Amino acid sequence: MEYLSTDKVLVVDLDKSEVIEDELSDDLVNEKIGGAAINKYLYEQHVDGDPVVIGTGLLTGTLFPASSASVITAKSPATGLVCHCPVTLKVGLEIQYAGFDYIVIKGKSQAPSFLWIHDGVADISDASDVWGKDVWETTAAWRQAMGDDLIQTLVIGPAGEKGSDLAQICCNFWASGDRWGFGKCLGSKNLKGLAFRGMGLLEIADAEEFVELSLDVLEEVKESAFVGRQGIGDMAEALGESGFKEWLAPVVHRHSACYNTPYPTNTFAFLSEDPQKMEEPQNEEPGFLITDLFGLIGFKKAGFDVKDACELLKVCARYGIDAAGVAEQSLAAGKTSIAAVREGLTEFTGDVTRPGKGIFSPWCPNQPIFGEFDAADTDVEAWWERRMAVAYIFGIHPIFAVMSPEIVEDDLVEIAAIGTELEISQEILDDVVAYLTG
Amino acid sequence: MKIHAPVENHYTANNAGLVSGERPCMADSFQKRSFEKAFAGSRPLKYPHIGVYAGTGTSHSWLWFIDIFDRMGFHAVSILDEFDVMAGRLDTLDVLAVSGGDTMAIAEALGPIGAQQVAAFISSGGVYLGSCAGAYLVMNSSKPHLCDFNFAAVKITNLSKHLPSCRGMGHKFSMAYGCDYIFHPVREAVGLRLSGNSPFKGEPSFRAPLYGGPGMRVTQGAQVLARYDCFTDKTLFLVEKQLAHETLINTAAAVRVRKGDGCIYLFGPHFEHPHFLQANRLVAEAIYWDLRPKPAAKRPWSEGIKPLSTRDSSMLLLTLKRELSNSRIVATGLEMLPVKWQIGAKIYEPEKLRVFLESMWRRLKPLEKNDRLFVAAETSQTLMADAAETTALLRRLKSDIDLGKDTRLLAGRLIHLLHRYSMSFLELYFRCVWQIGQSGEQIELPKCPR
Repeated sequence: MEYLSTDKVLVVDLDKSEVIEDELSDDLVNEKIGGAAINKYLYEQHVDGDPVVIGTGLLTGTLFPASSASVITAKSPATGLVCHCPVTLKVGLEIQYAGFDYIVIKGKSQAPSFLWIHDGVADISDASDVWGKDVWETTAAWRQAMGDDLIQTLVIGPAGEKGSDLAQICCNFWASGDRWGFGKCLGSKNLKGLAFRGMGLLEIADAEEFVELSLDVLEEVKESAFVGRQGIGDMAEALGESGFKEWLAPVVHRHSACYNTPYPTNTFAFLSEDPQKMEEPQNEEPGFLITDLFGLIGFKKAGFDVKDACELLKVCARYGIDAAGVAEQSLAAGKTSIAAVREGLTEFTGDVTRPGKGIFSPWCPNQPIFGEFDAADTDVEAWWERRMAVAYIFGIHPIFAVMSPEIVEDDLVEIAAIGTELEISQEILDDVVAYLTG
Repeated sequence: MKIHAPVENHYTANNAGLVSGERPCMADSFQKRSFEKAFAGSRPLKYPHIGVYAGTGTSHSWLWFIDIFDRMGFHAVSILDEFDVMAGRLDTLDVLAVSGGDTMAIAEALGPIGAQQVAAFISSGGVYLGSCAGAYLVMNSSKPHLCDFNFAAVKITNLSKHLPSCRGMGHKFSMAYGCDYIFHPVREAVGLRLSGNSPFKGEPSFRAPLYGGPGMRVTQGAQVLARYDCFTDKTLFLVEKQLAHETLINTAAAVRVRKGDGCIYLFGPHFEHPHFLQANRLVAEAIYWDLRPKPAAKRPWSEGIKPLSTRDSSMLLLTLKRELSNSRIVATGLEMLPVKWQIGAKIYEPEKLRVFLESMWRRLKPLEKNDRLFVAAETSQTLMADAAETTALLRRLKSDIDLGKDTRLLAGRLIHLLHRYSMSFLELYFRCVWQIGQSGEQIELPKCPR
């Protein structure tokens, strides 16, 4: 696979402590395109090893708008289904540039370990010094050990190590789109996580036309309904959470976007300092990046004020547990204080509400946000499943996919063909969507 | 030997022909250089064995010579330090290239024995290419250490008893030269003009970057090949423009001096900088033009080194790839930090560390395509150890910078290690490329920076 690809599939056998590189064939991409579909195919190829597959979308890391997402695929310990969640922020992109399109992790390591993936090299490394540490301590430790603050991580916390069904694979210091308990999958493999860094390049078959089409789409996107809005607050209001923005306002410091994503889906809240002051914070950790909309909504519904709700998001991120699930179970259990939730962290497991068919992560709202989609008017559930499938195949930020009707399948198919010189068509995309959504 | 090469680089094709036994010739009177069969007045060409000097006192710019030689298909390349020179390794070479750095430190490291070796090399027919510090080195001087290298009666125009006012970059503006000062009026790309003397023919105007090299004034016996003609939109002025003009314009930027049977080429700007293609071609012209006619010297490293086993070759390459990646990652991060180090008379920024690493990194792929590497087992072990130590030192450097510690000594240690490591790696690289070429196989060259 010459274009838009590293042409490499990494298979990590933790039982044997072995890494093997395979080529990514054009035939596979022609048939399955990329992202979640190839993840699923690889999962099926290696199912005996109870694999966790991490893969990039076909357009991940390119100039196409919102091409920030990679995908994790595994059997959810919570639902028992093979399902997918997105990896966004800058982590999804770094996976691509670290040198492998797809990473299959199977078996179980004898001792705590982590994968250090860099520039096409995959090292199974000792994680005994961070086993037992929380997500923040682990990411900080790896960045310090490897000597680079830009290393991107997928990490589990104590929740994953202890086998909670709500354990999350976190991105760097923050909550991720994992609502399937994939953190438990890694924990069961004695795998603390993965660290990524790379300075690779992607070749594009017809670079000029690729860039031109990407910019054309971006121009259309700039006319979209989301323009003028930003962050978690506006999203929540669009979902019907009236007064949410005002509730959040006292702690909002800034909003930030995932790689190349026109809408900033994340909001940084200052918890221990005044967010309005334009000066260097006095504290090393003055706040928290809110990446989990439903986690925050959940804690608000559970009766926490905004600072406590954000503080609990931080607690969950450090522990490596699904905040939305914790919020739901806290409410059900009558835990109304930070202390009560913190003390009960080890008890949070089992089933929680997860809208959808159990294929794509409900971290992404299952309805249009800001924008209008004709298909959603007819059958919003079917529309959402298809929209997620397409986003997960091409590596488009799922939340942006439900925000911007300007991202259309025709353009995705066209740009995929331009970028790869493969004969990717709408018919193939339909087949792949059907393969994913069953 | 077939070599994939950029289309515009006919030197690569010419070198490929030389290696495969063709005997093209070079003529004096062509406006546009071409390589043809022999005719009256033409010079038969042969494939040169080139030494690039990377010993104590050199900076990173010797890697530019490496890049252009690699790109132009000059693959019989050795990399030498002062000990190699003193031990007589120049006997195996046709060309010695000395690039930039701390001139005094280079002279001191080579010492009188090294100076004698260089003198004998040139006198017996060798070609000396001296760029920047390599040019200053062999110009007549009474200064300690430099006085051992009085090979060229060429005067420095940017020499002064009193330092002029510095307009910027004070740390790169001057260096002490005995009781005087060498000051650097400008940096970056300058405009040059050919004087019309052989072997430098062709397009008369071109550019090359100046990073502390001399303006020159020649006396009898030396030939001016190119002069400083003008400044460019990229030129950075470190003194008043008028003074820069007076110091450099119309002075010699490239000079050719005969010494015995050999020849010395002195370049003020870095003609070997890989981004300046026309200047690079002139370096190739200089090599071809003045090569000694006797057969190519034996290459000691081509003799008796058996290839590693496939397994050991894989292990070596994987280790090098791993550690180069680890090192590059840290080094890239360092470039965002406001830190620099004075080591000897030179200032090093973090970017310089990555120059060494990238030079090796982009040469891994051609090596990976071959299953056996021509390197002694002991050298292989040393390379792997140096690779790992480089990563460890870089990580420690980052950590110490974060803690606000003084990192000058550590940086010095690291730069010394990078020299040793990259010398060893690049020797391996050229040996492998040469050996593979001799066997008739194809090799894909790395994409050298443009």
